Amino acid sequence: MAIDLTKFVSRFVEEAHEHLSKISDGLSSLEQGADDAELINALFRSAHTIKGSSRMVKLITISEVAHLIEDLLSAIRSGTLQFNADVSQALYSGIDEISRLVDIVAENPADPKLPAVDEKLCQLLAAPLSSDCCESPLPKAVENEIDDKLVIKTTQGDSVPEQKLKVSDTVRVQLPKLDQLIKLMGEVVSSRARMDQRVNELHGLERMLENSDALNPLLPKIKKFNRSLKNDVLAQSLLMDELHDSALLMRMLPLSMVFDSVSRLMRELARSMGKKIECVISGSEIELDRQIIDQLSDPILHLLRNALDHGIESSEQRQKTGKPAVGRISLSAYQDGSWVVIEISDDGAGIDIDKVKSKAVRKGIISEELAKGLTQDELVDLIFTPGFSTSPIITEMSGRGVGMDVVKRSIVIELKGLVSVTTILGQGSTFTIRLPLSLAVMRVLLFEVDSLPFCLTAQHIATLVRIPRDSIMVIAGGRQAVILDNEFVPVVSLVDIIKVPKLKKATKLKIVPHPMLQLVVIQIRLEKMAFIVDALLDEQDLVIKPLPKHLHKIEMVSGMVVTGKNELVSVLHAPALFTAARKLQQASSKKEQNNEGAFGTDTVKILVVDDSPSTREIEKELLESYGYQVTVAEDGQDGLNKAKAELFDAVLTDVEMPIMDGFSLTAKLREEESYQAVPIIIITSREQEEDKRRGVQVGADAYIVKNDFEQSSLIDTLKTLLG
Amino acid sequence: MRILVIDDDILSCEMTVAILEELGHKTIMAANAVEGAELLGDGSEFEVVFSDLNMPMVSGIELFREIREQQITIPFILLTGDDPADALTLEPKLDGCLMKDFTLPETLEAILSDIMKPQE
Repeated sequence: MAIDLTKFVSRFVEEAHEHLSKISDGLSSLEQGADDAELINALFRSAHTIKGSSRMVKLITISEVAHLIEDLLSAIRSGTLQFNADVSQALYSGIDEISRLVDIVAENPADPKLPAVDEKLCQLLAAPLSSDCCESPLPKAVENEIDDKLVIKTTQGDSVPEQKLKVSDTVRVQLPKLDQLIKLMGEVVSSRARMDQRVNELHGLERMLENSDALNPLLPKIKKFNRSLKNDVLAQSLLMDELHDSALLMRMLPLSMVFDSVSRLMRELARSMGKKIECVISGSEIELDRQIIDQLSDPILHLLRNALDHGIESSEQRQKTGKPAVGRISLSAYQDGSWVVIEISDDGAGIDIDKVKSKAVRKGIISEELAKGLTQDELVDLIFTPGFSTSPIITEMSGRGVGMDVVKRSIVIELKGLVSVTTILGQGSTFTIRLPLSLAVMRVLLFEVDSLPFCLTAQHIATLVRIPRDSIMVIAGGRQAVILDNEFVPVVSLVDIIKVPKLKKATKLKIVPHPMLQLVVIQIRLEKMAFIVDALLDEQDLVIKPLPKHLHKIEMVSGMVVTGKNELVSVLHAPALFTAARKLQQASSKKEQNNEGAFGTDTVKILVVDDSPSTREIEKELLESYGYQVTVAEDGQDGLNKAKAELFDAVLTDVEMPIMDGFSLTAKLREEESYQAVPIIIITSREQEEDKRRGVQVGADAYIVKNDFEQSSLIDTLKTLLG
Repeated sequence: MRILVIDDDILSCEMTVAILEELGHKTIMAANAVEGAELLGDGSEFEVVFSDLNMPMVSGIELFREIREQQITIPFILLTGDDPADALTLEPKLDGCLMKDFTLPETLEAILSDIMKPQE
């Protein structure tokens, strides 16, 4: 009995995958303008190979589609057909169909049931040939003749690709085994802290002995032993670090694991929606821990679907607004310090922030007054709130319950990353995801609050500062702030947020307020907030262990670590601290407003222009607590636009800002007829006489220096100027 | 018989070899025409050559012409993914040309017994 070739089917699946990705890569090079006979030849051969081997294993549908692709490529190779966008679309459709068929085969290699060739696809693939080749119908044997014309390199051999079977230089390891290894490595690294602790304890004992029994003959020996131990621990910790890094590297995978399947998926989706897109991918060589890669594809796909569904408009609509008919979606990745940044952007309609706002209000996610006070960034962020979906019609793809809130949740909570969005109406949106390289071991800062240790992951911490207690300014409603690098940063005491239960400790010392305050400044995107802690304890590389399921509701704690002293310490979740701190501030400022609302100055409208979000926020709240109605702007240009749209009774502006600085803004405003007499106050950290003169020259009414900023001076100045 | 199988597509090369070995022949694989030509000129005694048509650099037909020029008269059978008739029109001197498909187990057997007959 002759051999049955169908047992080669699974080998064919493997081979087909390889050739399909070769063709797909080749096509994208062709699209980018590569014009290389050898490249087209290689594509042709891949299609040809798929055709041949699929026929040998009796997968006729695949072989027929491959044949159509081969015909197209053959015509391109011989020059009878020009490679263009239509041809490339047709070719992509063809290889996508083959991938689909190959997937069907892979599911059941023993008895694959393939559908017949799709009629539409046939027509699509045949179309370029029938229109372009009327004058010179392509004879079937043409490909062989072409081969003859190619320059033949005979037996020199050096340029011939080596195809012998090589001894593999890799070993397959089951993932759980590798995970176990890395987990153990993490524990070993964490145990270093314990070793250090023991060394310190021994040092303490040595001291005690020195003080009580300095002549003890054992003392020099103990000292010597202590020194060697210290050296050994140090040497070992270096080795541990290296070992850990190497172990982690084994689990690093390139982003191409996620990115590679994306462009095919997007093309298929686009076709099903009748939209035309081009999908540009870069940075797929960047490597991340497999743990992260595994959880990354869902959020990325969701964002890409959104870009296609909500972002990219139909071709007609795009042409109406003067954009190219084919939409562009790009997926790119790059490394930024200890983070990997992934950006998903489209050149579609952008997000209509006003719609977002009105919808959020309608859905009761946010109150109308609150929405008014939000900046553009904060408004866009509303799309990440649970229960929000902007699509007016619920389509099959997006808006089916799994929303942006899930995307945010999995990135922020599970992957310990950050996600944000920037958008320009009519020009498109960009989603930016920031991820740590690995979740195995993280650098954490340990500190003490109310005599209990807590910690934060290092990537959220902007700075650590100690400042004199009296340099904290108290503004509206007992709220506190400090000036750091030309920025108002709100100050919140961590005790108030964490609400540590009072321990009944008899030995508790009477607390004398220390003249200095220790601040931990946390930064999330542009916004900063300073938290008062009692003391800094240590900085360590530790394994963060997830909370058990029944504790998942605790938003403020994202995990636990075990320290050198075998203590369990809660890892605080920076974004949750922010939210809690904001709630606390809003509660206090509301109280304040209720008290002072009776003064009734609410008709006075003030524009605050500053590029620092926290400074804007503080000035805004301060002014609001005095009953003024405040609008904020992010830079000079934004301020100018807002001032032109609506007449304000006074303008407060910072000096150093991107796009347009405060001096230019002032000068420009003075050119406007309606702003001739409106008070403009410049608030800045610059204390130079020359600047003050310049402020006056461009037409400012007052110049307040941030360093001696006192709320009363600002309010007094305002009152004086407003009359 | 000792048979040389030349194919740049490893999978299809291995399938051909599997068929031939099932029929009780000894086979050597070559990944391209150059490698194949080297093995033929090596003094190794092959009785039949099966070669793929479409390969990078040197095609099966070019290889055939080359070895005939070197006065090597060993039976040469071309395997192709396209219509065998085209290849035979292009090079009528070929000892045979077979279409690569799932009937290959039968067609290979048939052509081999054809070749063996006149030799006996």
